[in-house]
Amino acid sequence: MYDEARITVEIVSAVICFILVRFMIKPYGLTREGRYLGLPLGFAFLGTSYAIVPFVYSKLLAQELIWLPLLIRTFAFVFLATTYFFSKRSSKNTRILWNITYSLLIVGLTTLFLVGITHPQFTLQTYFGSQLYIRIFNVVCLSYIAIYTLKEHVKEPDPTTIWIPLGFILLAISQYSLLFWYLDSSLAALTGSLTLRLAGLIIFLLVSYQTFYSPWKRTDK
Amino acid sequence: MKRITRRDKLKIYGDLLSALDAEANADKIVLTRVQVKINVPFDRLKCYISELYELGLIQDQESLKLSKKGKQYLKEYEKVLEFMKRMGLTYQ
Repeated sequence: MYDEARITVEIVSAVICFILVRFMIKPYGLTREGRYLGLPLGFAFLGTSYAIVPFVYSKLLAQELIWLPLLIRTFAFVFLATTYFFSKRSSKNTRILWNITYSLLIVGLTTLFLVGITHPQFTLQTYFGSQLYIRIFNVVCLSYIAIYTLKEHVKEPDPTTIWIPLGFILLAISQYSLLFWYLDSSLAALTGSLTLRLAGLIIFLLVSYQTFYSPWKRTDK
Repeated sequence: MKRITRRDKLKIYGDLLSALDAEANADKIVLTRVQVKINVPFDRLKCYISELYELGLIQDQESLKLSKKGKQYLKEYEKVLEFMKRMGLTYQ
């Protein structure tokens, strides 16, 4: 019963992430600037990582591949953080830098994936040894994005811009909560983490729908 | 002091279409007013207007009214900019 609930939440999260990719690709579609590619890529990887979890828990996927969702999720957060990192910098000066960064991230992810597939035992040992640090790293990435978006909101306070920082804060707390689950297998920590993550993703979805599908009112600049 | 940032062509097109659309209700669109609004030199403004016409975003270079395609583009452009603003992303 409990596993079924978790699998349902993972599937719903994955579906929301894949829907979000459709919206997140729009800034890239308009500007054709590679720095905004991190947004759709981040949510696509996030969705993929959530989609894999049910297979791992229902034993449909080999247990040696238990590291796969965490690896993909970490890269998803790095892609999102990179987008925010580069978004404020002038596109003319940083074009090469962001192209190199994204290329390195793709190469890194592919390499780790191939190493994991070809040497599952080595990856499994590394996974158990390092997953705590990886989870802390995920919290750091999400906190960076949350602080960044919150700063943008404070700079130009607008009721519409507070929701995205809130969404990222919920995702960060969700990852933080997962740390406790990892340390003491607390059911409350896992339930809290799943609930907060779902709430965060729903906020992203609502903001996206409201922007693109609500009757459009022009704001005079 | 406010930092002046360089705009790319896409942003200038967007700003220009937005200014032309805002002026659309006037009897005649005054180019100098548009120029002040989007802050570009007059000769460059003329170039941008002919580029917009070539792209089919304005009906003609006399009335400067937005075409159907131009209105659609402007709507999508403003929606994406609003989305980026809500996402906390800066586009410059």
